[in-house]
Amino acid sequence: MSTELLKTSGLKTDEMIINMGPQHPATHGVLRLLLTLDGEFVKHCEPVIGHLHRAQEWQGQNRTWFQYQALIDRVDYLSGMFTSWALAKAAERIDGLKLPLRAEYMRVIVAEMNRISSHLLWLGTYLIDLGAMFGFPFYPFREREKLLDLFEAIAGQRMMFNYIRIGGVQREAPPGWFAKLKQFTQEFPDRVDEYEAIVTKNPIFLKRTKGVGILGKELAMEYGVTGPSLRAAGVNFDLRKFKPYSVYDQLDFEVPLGEGEGDTWDRYMCRVKEMRQSNEIIKQCLAKIPGGTSEELRERRRQCNSCGKDDCPNCGGDLRIMVKKQNAGLRIKAGEGFDAVESPRGILGCYIVSTGGDTAYRFKWRNPSFSNLSVLPALLVGHPIADIMAIFGSLDVILPDVDR
Amino acid sequence: MHKAAVIEVSKFARLTVVWLSIIFGAVWAASWLVGVALPAWIDQTFQPSEVAAAWSNTLRLLVPIVAVMVFIPINAMFMVLAERRALALFTVRKGPNRVGPDGLLQTAADAVKLLFKEDITPRGADAVMFTLAPILFFAPSIIGVLPLLAAVSNNHSLFSVANVPTGIFYVLAVSSIPVVGLVMGAWASNNKYSLVGGLRSAAQAISYEIPLVLSIITVCLMAGTLDVVQIANQQEAGLLAWNLLGGGAISKAAAAFASGSPAAAMALAAALLLAVSMILLFLIYITGACAEVNRIPFDLPEAESELVSGYNTEYSGIKFAIFFLAEFTNLFVVCTIATVMFLGGGHGPFPGLDKSLADWLGGFLGALPAGPVGWLFNSLIDPATLIAAFWVILKTYTLVIFAILVRATLPRFRIDQLMAFGWKRLIPLALILLIAVTFLKELV
Amino acid sequence: MSEQQAPGKPAEVELEPGQFGQFLAEHGIPSRRLSDSSGVETIELEGKHLEQAVKRLRNSPETKLDFLVAVSGVEAADTFDSVYHLWSYSNQSELVIKVRVPKSDVPAGHLPMVPSIAPFWKAADWHERETYDLVGIRYVGHPYLRRILNPWDWEGHPLRRDYRQPVDALNDKSPGSFR
Repeated sequence: MSTELLKTSGLKTDEMIINMGPQHPATHGVLRLLLTLDGEFVKHCEPVIGHLHRAQEWQGQNRTWFQYQALIDRVDYLSGMFTSWALAKAAERIDGLKLPLRAEYMRVIVAEMNRISSHLLWLGTYLIDLGAMFGFPFYPFREREKLLDLFEAIAGQRMMFNYIRIGGVQREAPPGWFAKLKQFTQEFPDRVDEYEAIVTKNPIFLKRTKGVGILGKELAMEYGVTGPSLRAAGVNFDLRKFKPYSVYDQLDFEVPLGEGEGDTWDRYMCRVKEMRQSNEIIKQCLAKIPGGTSEELRERRRQCNSCGKDDCPNCGGDLRIMVKKQNAGLRIKAGEGFDAVESPRGILGCYIVSTGGDTAYRFKWRNPSFSNLSVLPALLVGHPIADIMAIFGSLDVILPDVDR
Repeated sequence: MHKAAVIEVSKFARLTVVWLSIIFGAVWAASWLVGVALPAWIDQTFQPSEVAAAWSNTLRLLVPIVAVMVFIPINAMFMVLAERRALALFTVRKGPNRVGPDGLLQTAADAVKLLFKEDITPRGADAVMFTLAPILFFAPSIIGVLPLLAAVSNNHSLFSVANVPTGIFYVLAVSSIPVVGLVMGAWASNNKYSLVGGLRSAAQAISYEIPLVLSIITVCLMAGTLDVVQIANQQEAGLLAWNLLGGGAISKAAAAFASGSPAAAMALAAALLLAVSMILLFLIYITGACAEVNRIPFDLPEAESELVSGYNTEYSGIKFAIFFLAEFTNLFVVCTIATVMFLGGGHGPFPGLDKSLADWLGGFLGALPAGPVGWLFNSLIDPATLIAAFWVILKTYTLVIFAILVRATLPRFRIDQLMAFGWKRLIPLALILLIAVTFLKELV
Repeated sequence: MSEQQAPGKPAEVELEPGQFGQFLAEHGIPSRRLSDSSGVETIELEGKHLEQAVKRLRNSPETKLDFLVAVSGVEAADTFDSVYHLWSYSNQSELVIKVRVPKSDVPAGHLPMVPSIAPFWKAADWHERETYDLVGIRYVGHPYLRRILNPWDWEGHPLRRDYRQPVDALNDKSPGSFR
């Protein structure tokens, strides 16, 4: 390496300080990296965040619960279902709510769909980070578009869903939705095969990712890294398996782990496998959901004329989708609690202190991107400039999720 | 195949045909005007005199320059549009389709937009260098293509002035100048990203020029000349005579084998090996050329996800347009070199085909009634040149589309991997092939 | 915003120490059990014991609380709480640690001080910076305690109850304003 040669030969070289971002095309939004470079190699890196700070916690404390549910999707715009779910879960834990089974299944279905769509977008943008500029990235978007259409049909929105609410989910799926989703789950594995055919064994891709940005077990655990980035290092820590919530304990799935020491390629592989896994989970949910598809349920409810009574075998019990009244007067009992879900990026948690009023007393979001980004300086040192985006992209950081 | 895909492909084909006819119609019309019509008019109006002859001769000398100057901007416009549309095809999108019929005029609109944009010189930039850089980057692509013009037009009398005996040497020498302009612009921008981009491009150009030149040298060695017209004409006899397949060695050895001469089997094996070496050299050339013109996967000097836009980060308006123009022209030039050196220049893949086509066309033109119309067509169209131009256009743009396909598929190398690939793989391989070809050529 | 009654009145009755409280007591670290946070053991520690206790809980094979989920700051009725959520990568246990600084102990114009755990636990680094930025708790011994989400020259700590937002004057005049 030329740098070593320079050191031994006694020649003096100068360091260069580069401001990467906040308007750099590849920093996924508005991250600013203060880099100290020695030639092309990074000597020191300091991430400067907060350019997208929208005071989500402050807003939560100044808005009613009902308003805040709609706002919170914006924290992580690629996986809005999970932020809503974390909020709902923490609030339900304080309130001691038990959800009907159909609502839980609906939550799992939409959340896993959201996980797939988030990973698809990551895959596309990650290849852009690696310089596959205009070619491949659009294929994942093709499938993502189908998922977004399904989201639009069920929640009325393509990205800011506001679908998962405290005490259930917003509404029943429209007729034909389940059939469309089923068709998607059948096609999807072939599509993933397509991506893998073009990317996984591409020699340039392998060269750029194998052995680059090794995030080992110890380092990851020291920094509180979670999600696929942690699992790629071989730590079997997936909340869905580790502390099964919702109906995940009734579903049969494996947590994909990285095969190597946690390099960039492992993180890529982990996410690709997770997409397949989520697809399987959706399939199982579609088979197991109580009440079946929305058309079947509608047919059953015709018998009781959609009475809506809690003890009705067609309308009540596990076939409801909402147990708490949703209006501006929504309140949560006094108390405090922390609960988390496994989002596409890792542990997404919400710490709520409630005093029983119409707003929360204190919100604290535990965002996976925030912790995952904090490990970046440790990973970058010693790598060339070109690897910055390969490593940063592989952590799958969403800047609004970091800055809130 | 999807119906929508068929429609998109046919739209792309239509766009290509329309633009190519515009480009080459314009080039040919301009050359005809300057090289044939104007001198004829001068000769007719002013009675044969020394002054008139001098004027018309000067005009004839200017033809190649005029042709290139007309060709480059229109061609760059077409290539940008073709690239965008082709990339859209490869990535299940539609591409620009709003300006003009089917987006045909998109790049013309873009060009106008770029011309009207403010030309910014950043504070702290070296203004003189900053302005000179795009010129230095662009000029070689104009001067560099001149000898090729003679080769691709079948040494037409209008363009043969541009031919120099050491043509390919001249082309390669000129084509290594742009990197100086690049580094100049990068340094003068007073921007760290630009600087890193410029340094990268210098390193890259030096490394990849060697395998590129080595592969060209091998071709010259086999052809025994540096004259591009001669090299092109040596590949006259169909596919097997192309330098890509060993420049006629196979057919020669096969003939010897058929006649049953004692060393024929050895010669045939040598000829086949020669063909394989030449194909490898062609691949080396393509790789080196991609690196030379900063195409993906070797676009490190302007790597967008790392260096914002590399050396042209600070450029805007007309200067940026010139960089853009030169980049696409350079791509076209390297593809033309490949066509002339490896793919038989203006000669078709089947022996005799060109001749019969030209004869048929000549017969058709000869049958035209005498008079102004007949004169116009006969002076406008030279059958042999038209056929040659057709083949060159076909081959060159196929290579261009191939480069676009590569861009649509591959991610980018890292700088150290790029260097390692160049110095540890390509250069040794090119050297070995150079020696191999030297010996194999003697064995055939 | 409706003015709320602040939470955090400590329970009058002394609670029996839970699993982790006992573990800490065995190692000579005094702790006080608070009412559970949604079924998770919650203990209060004094600032001076924090580092020792966290190191012990993190490294002992019986507890193995090696996953610092979050560090939050809460301005309660008469204390500033620094709340640590500890999980484990290898077992299912959870623990909430609170370090409470009484408001009466904080001189006017000063920030409440809590010892930092960032020097030996990197996960706390950014979380402590964020809490400093938003709630205004000074973590003593933090290697790089600067504002992280707000700009470096921001005034005040936005999640304090007495914080007035700069645009409040504008919003108060608007009859349609929620506040």
